Amino acid sequence: MITIAEKINATIPSVKKIIEDRDAEKLLELARSQTEAGADYLDVNIGTGSGSAEDEIEDMAWAVTTIQAEVDTALCIDSADPKVLEAGLKARGERPALINSTKASAKYLAAVVPLAREYNQPLVGLAMGEEGIPKTVEKRVEACLKIAEACNKAGVETDQLFFDPLVLPVSTDVKQGKVTLETISAIKAAIPEAKTIMAVSNVSFGLPKRKIFNTAFLHMAIMAGLDAAILSVLDPTLIGAAKTAEAVLGRDRHCRKYSRFWRDK
Amino acid sequence: MSAEILEKIASNVVQGRVEQEDEGFDDGFEGQPAVTELVEEALGKGIDPNEILIQGLTASMTTVGEKFEKGEYLIPDMLAAAEAVGAGMDILTPHLLKAGVKSKGKFIIATVAGDLHDIGKNIVAIMLKGAGYEVIDLGVDVPTPKIIEAVKENAAPFLGLSALLTTTMRNMEEIITKLKDEGLRDKIKVCIGGAPTSQDFSDKIGADGHCSDAFAALDWVKAQAA
Repeated sequence: MITIAEKINATIPSVKKIIEDRDAEKLLELARSQTEAGADYLDVNIGTGSGSAEDEIEDMAWAVTTIQAEVDTALCIDSADPKVLEAGLKARGERPALINSTKASAKYLAAVVPLAREYNQPLVGLAMGEEGIPKTVEKRVEACLKIAEACNKAGVETDQLFFDPLVLPVSTDVKQGKVTLETISAIKAAIPEAKTIMAVSNVSFGLPKRKIFNTAFLHMAIMAGLDAAILSVLDPTLIGAAKTAEAVLGRDRHCRKYSRFWRDK
Repeated sequence: MSAEILEKIASNVVQGRVEQEDEGFDDGFEGQPAVTELVEEALGKGIDPNEILIQGLTASMTTVGEKFEKGEYLIPDMLAAAEAVGAGMDILTPHLLKAGVKSKGKFIIATVAGDLHDIGKNIVAIMLKGAGYEVIDLGVDVPTPKIIEAVKENAAPFLGLSALLTTTMRNMEEIITKLKDEGLRDKIKVCIGGAPTSQDFSDKIGADGHCSDAFAALDWVKAQAA
């Protein structure tokens, strides 16, 4: 499974402070520790909410430049503002990056898909359109198909796409865990060239023993066809869960990855 | 006798039980009458619907709020209680209307433009309804002019704004500025909420309060009336 490390996210108060204070050393610490834990990508979300839209553009450029000066891991450039995404893509130079994200609304597609084309980098598409997160599997897949179509028209190959089925807290609607899992399977069936990606921890919001909940959810999601996850790579239980699922599903020859992961732990 | 059944309704709200077959927060409630059956029974006995509302449904939400604040109750427990109040209200509403009971006031609620998050907003709306306010839910991604229009049209004393994105919370400031421009600002109290918002941000944009969760919103609206 492809892992995207979640900790460089300014909605976390300590990270918000790092961004506001331009604390390069602390930012690099987060980048290094998650890299050492084996992250394939480092998510970079600098939306602090304290500055203007222009500030966020500068913040993103600073964070990307600062991390890349010292750390080689690919970045997942994460913002709801296409201009901030572009600032991250520009700052990254020639290094690979994952663009996170667009949704299936005309406005977003028009602003974000050209970035994927121009910078020739993979793109995350959210399974939602103009009216928020659909409650049903069918509507979520519909949104993904719309994104895939817009990408094809713009010259972005389907194998460059990661679709996010979207994860809602089970604590507020017990049916939503299954909707996400079924959406993963349905995306794999409808658009087999594309990959699937999701952020794991939202599922357990508001519940006790979140680690146990997240682990079970990740097992099931991998079974359903999940290719990539945004998660805490520093948590061996969760990464171990991914390795376990892949071994159980016969995707880990001689259980090499599973065994190696636990060898020194 | 009427006190006993009202107490039963209240305890079933706290247990979060809508119907007889529902489980409660605690073990062993299945099969016993729950909020809907008990409200029907109370009406059948001729108990004043307003008394059922206040003593049976509304008062018990304070207990739920306390339990939530202590961490004893989690989000699903709170939602179960709110659902029970909602189910009770559905039965009571026609009776309350007949008896001429008025709501505690109109409360307009919306997720601001560009933002599609609705879970938190919906929880606040449920809780406010349960507490006896007339909630006008404008939905998600609501453009500023539509919010201003609704404030004018309804002459509502309360407005609640939600945003979950750092990029969209800025629209809250625009809404408050627009309320000022239209001469509506001193006629309405505005509270804000959502993960990236804070009391600091609320002060900065000139809102009347920041609510960190649904119970904070209930406390806030009660404090405005006091």
